[in-house]
Amino acid sequence: MLRASLREVSAALKEGRVTPTELCQRCLSLIKSTSFLNAYVTVAEETALKQAEESEKRYRRGQPLGVLDGIPIAVKDNFNTAGIETTCASNMLKGYISPYNATVVQKLLDQGAVLLGKTNLDEFAMGSGSTDGIFGPVRNPWSYSRQYKEKTPPKSSSENEESDWVITGGSSGGSAAAVSSFTCFAALGSDTGGSTRNPAAHCGVVGLKPTYGLISRHGLIPLVNSMDVPGILTRCVDDAAVVLGSLAGHDPKDATTIQDTFKPFELPNLIDVRKLCIGIPKEYHAPGLSSEILALWSKAADLFKDAGAKVIEVSLPHTCYSIVCYHVLCTAEVASNMARFDGLEYGHRADMNKSTESMYAATRREGFNDVVRGRILSGNYFLLKQNYENYFIKAQKVRRLIANDFVKVFGSGVDILLTPTTLSDAVPYMEFIKEDNRTRSAQDDILTQAANMAGLPAISIPTALSKRGLPVGLQFIGHSFQEKQLLTVAKWFEKQIKFPMIQLEEVKRHDCSVFQHQKSVSFL
Amino acid sequence: MLDHLEHLALVDFRNVEGVERLQKAIQFADQLHEVDTEGVEPMDSVLEDRCLYLREDDVTEGNCTKELLKNAREKIEEYFVAPPGNIPLPKLEERETFLQRS
Amino acid sequence: MAAAAAAAARGCERVWRRAWWRGAADAFPAPARAVACNARGGAAPAGESGLASWVPVVGLEIHVQISSNSKLFSGSQVQFAAPPNSLVSFFDASLPGTLPVLNRRCVEAAVMTGLALNCSINKKSLFDRKHYFYADLPAGYQITQQRVPIAVNGSLSYSLCIDNKMSQMVTKTVRIKQIQLEQDSGKSLHDDARSQTLVDLNRAGVGLMEVVTEPDMCCGEEAAAAVRELQLILQTLGSSQAIMAEGQLRVDANVSVHHPGEPYGVRTEVKNINSVRFLAKAVDYEIQRQIEELENGGTILNETRSFDSKLGCTVPMRDKEGKQDYRFMPEPNLPPLILYDAKSLPVNMNHQQVVNIDWIRERLPDLPSVKRAKLVELYGILPEHSFTLLNEDGLAEYFENVIKQTQMKPKKVIGWILNDLLSYLKQHALTVKDSPVSSFLLADLLNLLERREISSSAAKQVLEELWKGEGKTPLKIVKEKKLELIQDQKELEQICQSVIDRQEDEVMAIKVGNQKVLNKLIGLVQRATRGRSNPVLVKQILEKKLSE
Repeated sequence: MLRASLREVSAALKEGRVTPTELCQRCLSLIKSTSFLNAYVTVAEETALKQAEESEKRYRRGQPLGVLDGIPIAVKDNFNTAGIETTCASNMLKGYISPYNATVVQKLLDQGAVLLGKTNLDEFAMGSGSTDGIFGPVRNPWSYSRQYKEKTPPKSSSENEESDWVITGGSSGGSAAAVSSFTCFAALGSDTGGSTRNPAAHCGVVGLKPTYGLISRHGLIPLVNSMDVPGILTRCVDDAAVVLGSLAGHDPKDATTIQDTFKPFELPNLIDVRKLCIGIPKEYHAPGLSSEILALWSKAADLFKDAGAKVIEVSLPHTCYSIVCYHVLCTAEVASNMARFDGLEYGHRADMNKSTESMYAATRREGFNDVVRGRILSGNYFLLKQNYENYFIKAQKVRRLIANDFVKVFGSGVDILLTPTTLSDAVPYMEFIKEDNRTRSAQDDILTQAANMAGLPAISIPTALSKRGLPVGLQFIGHSFQEKQLLTVAKWFEKQIKFPMIQLEEVKRHDCSVFQHQKSVSFL
Repeated sequence: MLDHLEHLALVDFRNVEGVERLQKAIQFADQLHEVDTEGVEPMDSVLEDRCLYLREDDVTEGNCTKELLKNAREKIEEYFVAPPGNIPLPKLEERETFLQRS
Repeated sequence: MAAAAAAAARGCERVWRRAWWRGAADAFPAPARAVACNARGGAAPAGESGLASWVPVVGLEIHVQISSNSKLFSGSQVQFAAPPNSLVSFFDASLPGTLPVLNRRCVEAAVMTGLALNCSINKKSLFDRKHYFYADLPAGYQITQQRVPIAVNGSLSYSLCIDNKMSQMVTKTVRIKQIQLEQDSGKSLHDDARSQTLVDLNRAGVGLMEVVTEPDMCCGEEAAAAVRELQLILQTLGSSQAIMAEGQLRVDANVSVHHPGEPYGVRTEVKNINSVRFLAKAVDYEIQRQIEELENGGTILNETRSFDSKLGCTVPMRDKEGKQDYRFMPEPNLPPLILYDAKSLPVNMNHQQVVNIDWIRERLPDLPSVKRAKLVELYGILPEHSFTLLNEDGLAEYFENVIKQTQMKPKKVIGWILNDLLSYLKQHALTVKDSPVSSFLLADLLNLLERREISSSAAKQVLEELWKGEGKTPLKIVKEKKLELIQDQKELEQICQSVIDRQEDEVMAIKVGNQKVLNKLIGLVQRATRGRSNPVLVKQILEKKLSE
């Protein structure tokens, strides 16, 4: 039951094959047995059970609130949740209980969803591994899959398997791991440079970054306001469409949500791709792209070609500058956004009462990790009067060039772009932490960042397993506010490739009933 | 420079680690200058062509003093409490030397 | 004299005067150190010492609190006095994840003000973040309009009188550089004893319009007169209550001095000026201080100074401005603010989302200058009277209401309004609204006078009774106090005769041609009748009797 899709389990709830409380309890117990993944930083057992109970009453009355009623979900810990701790995996907000719900959280609750807990991330979402938060790194569930273990035997018998586990990617790694390990049916992430799509690719789940302005950011603790978008992590494209439908639309509390009305949609089952024009941006053949991902990418292109779609090579010449451009814009906004954390009204406060400034400085030293402090420092540097033109404005100009690349390509008749999501499959944690956060982010966001610059919708679809038995994703990028087209194409692709289901060995030992017989059809 | 920056950023990051990070960050950012941006307008937001949403002038919030103060570490009555600020110049200098020591 | 010429060229002659609008009742002492305020006119006192004279330059930054129900970017209430931190939303307290949503009313107030100040309104304006750490600035930045403000390039005309004569008024114009929308900060209460700061965020996020003028003024009087006129305009528009004492209008003055023909000097910024009177004082003090400093071989620092109203001087304050780098950055959560006019109005847009400049322009109320001109034209009153009428909130309306209900000529009514009503109100520190005598009662009284049922001295006695606010009508008071004019000719003749009989010397004086003495006799008759005689009639009777 737990490995079913959201829509399937929703149908089961409706038909009474399972009750919301049962479902919630099973998820909670699985969260416990998979706690070694470190996917959750807060499990809201009590409130979740209460919500499930309420949902159950509605089902008994025959008046469920909709598809999401009774569905266990998880939310990245940078969304505000009233009454449940919101930490951003930072000492700064440890113990912080927000008095309000983020709009997206409120919308989910209003539709009867059951909030199981808050998921792990990099501190303030600054990272690409979900390794740099105060609660420690998230472990990729695939590290414990039969597929990985079969293909990547332990390096030596003396080394215990501890050192072999791979990262989830990030920064929404907790959410991706939660969906991937079947502890919830959908999870919210956030996506500023690829933070939803990257872990989705590494964890073998669907990761959708909607168009900027389609979903409210009210209550999402910002990283880069002009690029942040709440992300959706699900097991399949149809589920992503369901969650998107429940979240999208204008929010009077967020002036950057567009005022046009959004109509939730269902994706067709019969999809004709013959009239489509798929663009393959050559710049995404980036240095460091693994050969197997390159091969996978071209196979995917062939799949469309064979189905009658027009597949053409296109050029987005400024793509390679998106990371450096992002680096400047991100640090500048971080410097600004983080200025509010001073210990006065909320959050950590240092025991220092000499002066306001000294208290602020001590609070911020104690509250932020080095990554955050480093970004604040360099962001302030780029915003200095003498540097503003040279760095910040320059980056904003480059941003326009990047965005214009997309405008030109889409203007030439391309419907959807097809690219890899990541350069390679997930790396072991021990390897990952050898490089510093900035360098890693520069590497890892390289294929996802440009879509954020241009505000475009993009989705990562789990495509195949690598030679090491780890998931690999491909990315589709669509026109602004054309989520329906994007998801339709993604669904068609998903259907063709039949990505294998994860076979969690570790968990099997704990909870045999959860993972039954797995079908496994590899695309490769 | 770092002193000036620290004064503005208040993250107490004036050690070797901080300097190194900053240098690397600047170095990395300098790649921007390879790009020809002649005649290109800076882009603030992808919504630059959309009209800003306006709120009606209604009172819908407030009256939540208790809720707000709950998250503050230090408070007196209904006030948030800060250490002394805006203090006269001599004291300011003391504070500066204090900050430098810490 | 070179100085005078330079000053005249700047339109700055003889301005070191008390402004007309302070009113006669205002016993304002001349600034103790206003040396520049000399009778010779010109810009400075240097003539005697033989040194080149100085040209002062004054520009203003005026922060105006917008009169609105809720704050600029949040739905919390705007109110002057309330329990600490009770008017605070999650956004105002900068809780993480909260976002600004612009208040339409504040936009309209700024557009209105911009139009009233002859500005061009930017159809597209932008918001920016200005960063600095301060305990009462919870987000660590203020949202303002640094790059493209909502209104630019306007002007403000104001009048002031020359040589303290109400009859000699000149009109001047100061250019308005820009009007920008921005957030107010909270308030810090410094508890020095316990060495801590208490922070109240009730004011945090209230909408402000910052009106920035060009440095077109040259003395405290001009600055004060310009601000006073701005205050009246804002109050007429209703875009702000503009009460300085409540901090709804806060003025910072940029002051510098230079020699004629030379570039502007280094300027200082004077803050903490909380009344129009203190503005004049602070600016004049600062001009004088700078001149003295420079003449003594010193230099002027580009610094922020605070005006100490008790000492009447400016003192340097902790300069967070000068050294600060505000690291301005576009506010990413607010797309451009787009305004429309009749031409650009989109067809199918939610009208609640549209701010139409033309629509606002058509509905602008009469501005003080127009209202004054109308009063002068309609009622034939003196221009300076029109200023006084507009200077008190509600006084012009009161005046017009009296006019509507009386046959008395406006020119006569104005005297009763300005001399009797206004001085009474000032004496008792009352506003027009609080006047115990309504316009209806005053009109009633003036009608009795106009119909010659009572004398004007009797009318004054009635007014004295009316102030008590006991609800009696003027007629009732007249009856009770027997103040009606003596209608009986014979009775009046008898009284006149008895006065003549008792004043032989005066009668003699008149008979030899000193007609002025007649007034004394008239006065005596008035006294004898306790003001109940018609002076015109009395004069006729006396003249007749004396010529007999």
